Amino acid sequence: MKRIYGIDLGTTHSLIAYSEGGTSHIVCDPETGSPLLPSVVSFLGPDQYVVGNAAKARALKHPRETIASVKRLMGLGWEHVSAEDRQAYPFAPEEGGGIVRFQIHGRTYTPPEISALILSELKRWVRVGLGEEVEQVIITVPAYFNDSQRQATRDAGRLAGLDVVRLLNEPTAAALAYGLDKKKQGHIAVYDLGGGTFDISILHLHEGIFEVLSTSGDTRLGGDDMDRLVVDVLLEDVPDSARTDPDVLQAALSAAEQAKRLLSEQDETVVQFEALGRTYQRRLNRQQLEHLVRPIVERTLDPCRQALSDAGLSNKDLDDVVLVGGATRMPLVRAIVREFFCRQPHTELDPDQIVALGAAVQAGVLSGRSDDVLLLDVVPLSLGIETVGGVMERIIERNTTIPCSVRQEFTTFVDNQTAVDFHVLQGERELAKDNRSLARFQLRGIEPQPAGVPRIEVTFTIDANGILNVTARDKRTGREQSVDVKPSYGLTDEEIERMLEESFEHAEEDVRQRLLIEARTDAESLLRVTRKQLSATHVPTEEQAAIDRAVAALEEAMQGEDYNLIRDRIEDLKQATDPLARRIMDEAIRAALENKRVDELA
Amino acid sequence: MSETNVPPLAEASPQSHQVGTGRRPLRCWRCGEQERSLLFCQRCGVIQPFPEDTDYFEVFGLPRSLALDQNLLKQRYYELHRLLHPDRFQTSSPEERQASLRNTALINQAYRTLKDPEDRGVYWLTLHGEALGKRNQGVPPDLAALVFETQELLEEFSQDPARQAEVERVREHIVERCAALRARLEEFYARFPSAAGSAELAELKRILSALSYLSTLLRDVERALEKHSR
Repeated sequence: MKRIYGIDLGTTHSLIAYSEGGTSHIVCDPETGSPLLPSVVSFLGPDQYVVGNAAKARALKHPRETIASVKRLMGLGWEHVSAEDRQAYPFAPEEGGGIVRFQIHGRTYTPPEISALILSELKRWVRVGLGEEVEQVIITVPAYFNDSQRQATRDAGRLAGLDVVRLLNEPTAAALAYGLDKKKQGHIAVYDLGGGTFDISILHLHEGIFEVLSTSGDTRLGGDDMDRLVVDVLLEDVPDSARTDPDVLQAALSAAEQAKRLLSEQDETVVQFEALGRTYQRRLNRQQLEHLVRPIVERTLDPCRQALSDAGLSNKDLDDVVLVGGATRMPLVRAIVREFFCRQPHTELDPDQIVALGAAVQAGVLSGRSDDVLLLDVVPLSLGIETVGGVMERIIERNTTIPCSVRQEFTTFVDNQTAVDFHVLQGERELAKDNRSLARFQLRGIEPQPAGVPRIEVTFTIDANGILNVTARDKRTGREQSVDVKPSYGLTDEEIERMLEESFEHAEEDVRQRLLIEARTDAESLLRVTRKQLSATHVPTEEQAAIDRAVAALEEAMQGEDYNLIRDRIEDLKQATDPLARRIMDEAIRAALENKRVDELA
Repeated sequence: MSETNVPPLAEASPQSHQVGTGRRPLRCWRCGEQERSLLFCQRCGVIQPFPEDTDYFEVFGLPRSLALDQNLLKQRYYELHRLLHPDRFQTSSPEERQASLRNTALINQAYRTLKDPEDRGVYWLTLHGEALGKRNQGVPPDLAALVFETQELLEEFSQDPARQAEVERVREHIVERCAALRARLEEFYARFPSAAGSAELAELKRILSALSYLSTLLRDVERALEKHSR
């Protein structure tokens, strides 16, 4: 049987892993050796795109052709997009309701299509790296993802030509990765603060059974929000009129990301970005950053309290706390978590890789390779239907173990009524309008009868993916009733079919062509950086000659079509500029320290 | 009840997980074998969907009893999942996967119901043709005064935050009464593990109905306090 792969389709980056001989392995980028694929797609022209680092590099210069953090928009409708996000993404003009769409180079794309391009790139990594074609996958999703967001993720897999055998909750995956080589009993909390989402899950581990007791979270809270706060500070130096300029925003955003990362390791850094033809600089220390982002980190505690209370536990009852997501590298996050749970959180596993590693474990389980582990997960949000007066009637309570199913009987209101309409909702509020609309469906072909006579039994089933299925049966005749489901914020089966057909037409889309574009883009950005460094620093003659040779060789390679050659030349140039880069780094650090001294003296 | 009568699933042969008496013979959906157990066919080994009318106790192979051994229930729950969970049937035929999905959904529903003493009682009533009316039940007479006073207090509290201490006292009082009722319920289960007579069922209904009323009331009080603290 073919391997099942585990994919962490993340807000900031994505990974693919598999399990073999009881251990999980991450597949790395065959060109660069990096395990992380930046979840960024950039379009050079209609149907011409790059994914990953090359796309990220283009984000600065071509923000309106580049999409990052698409996960934040999966399964959303226009009305769920914040004013900030409306500026941040190249949206298509809003037409009607339903799913959000982007418009780039005159073509429109939905979030699942963008995600599918990321998935396809991971697929290519495996093809090139392991010589194997990925067919079946597990994709992880935030535990707190609602049904639309899950469907959208599954659609992305389908569009990438993958058979998504399971959607797995990220905290649960992390627990799997963590729990296998640890003691196997007790209560654990998984605290997952990623780029765009926050999840908390409380699990009970017992003889290989990973039972999720409760889960809570916020799908609109994460490291990205912290970056934006830093951006706001950086923009204080920029003239008012330029603050909404996409180029300026992008430049400030990457500087903010970098500063946030650096300040997890060091106490102070100089944030620097270029905009409007000049360089902006600002010193930022860890204390200032923590002051800025503390409110965001504290917002994670409400879901933590909720999850504990739903699990019937107190914060002192936990045996272990596991951290997931890049944002948990921040010392402040660790301190707040430690304080809240009265426990030193585990940090042994790389918070960026733990989810993918866990997905690979579950892949092993599903392919029948290991049966000492079993997951019992829950549905994160209550599910219900709209009843008279716009009230939501709950039919499945949150934190119910999945799979689960509930049957309800319905009848008609008027004589000879042959169809009944349903509106399915998800959420915890009383009124239908305050909850998320999942789908509308219609029961049809009911035999004409006096009102109240037909007895239609509707079964709502949530499968092991946390996805809802609806079936209906006429109780009198025993006949299956047809159910037409229209997702409120998703793609219909027909739309997916059509997109797949189109993508097959473009499938000639020559992977070689794309690899070439990616290599050239990487080469361009390296050349740009090198030129800048050369102009700013004095370089010994010998070194200068070596760099010049490497630059010339790379430029020559870029004229050709051989992307492997370009990659080789990129490496050569990197090597030639290595001493230079080191010196520049040293100078920056010295400058930062000097500034500090001046400051302290003053 | 004693747990010694009930062997753990793992060491039990599939036969021991038998359906109660009086059920028409079950045939394996695949090979037609008649002598099949509730979970798997003895001849071809294929997973079997639970029959439509399987009750929650049968699901776990446990005798019908209100005085359920919680540890045994939990143990059975895990054992059944190890055998039947969809993760175990990922590579099986669509029919088997469907059976696994249906069975585990029923197992989860049954476990959720039976492990909670109140839900178990309500389910017991439905098994005996007695529904605990969800909506139009009257207020139990001995609760009428409390319900009325509390609602009035909450009404006033929404205008006058100074009455918070009073509301908190009422909350404590309701919590205590709930605890007392739950103790009474457990006592009842110990004394009448197979309650079936009309007097017994009426008493069970009284306790459950009072509990359900107080829980709703408690929720209203807690919401009011929560709203206030915001």
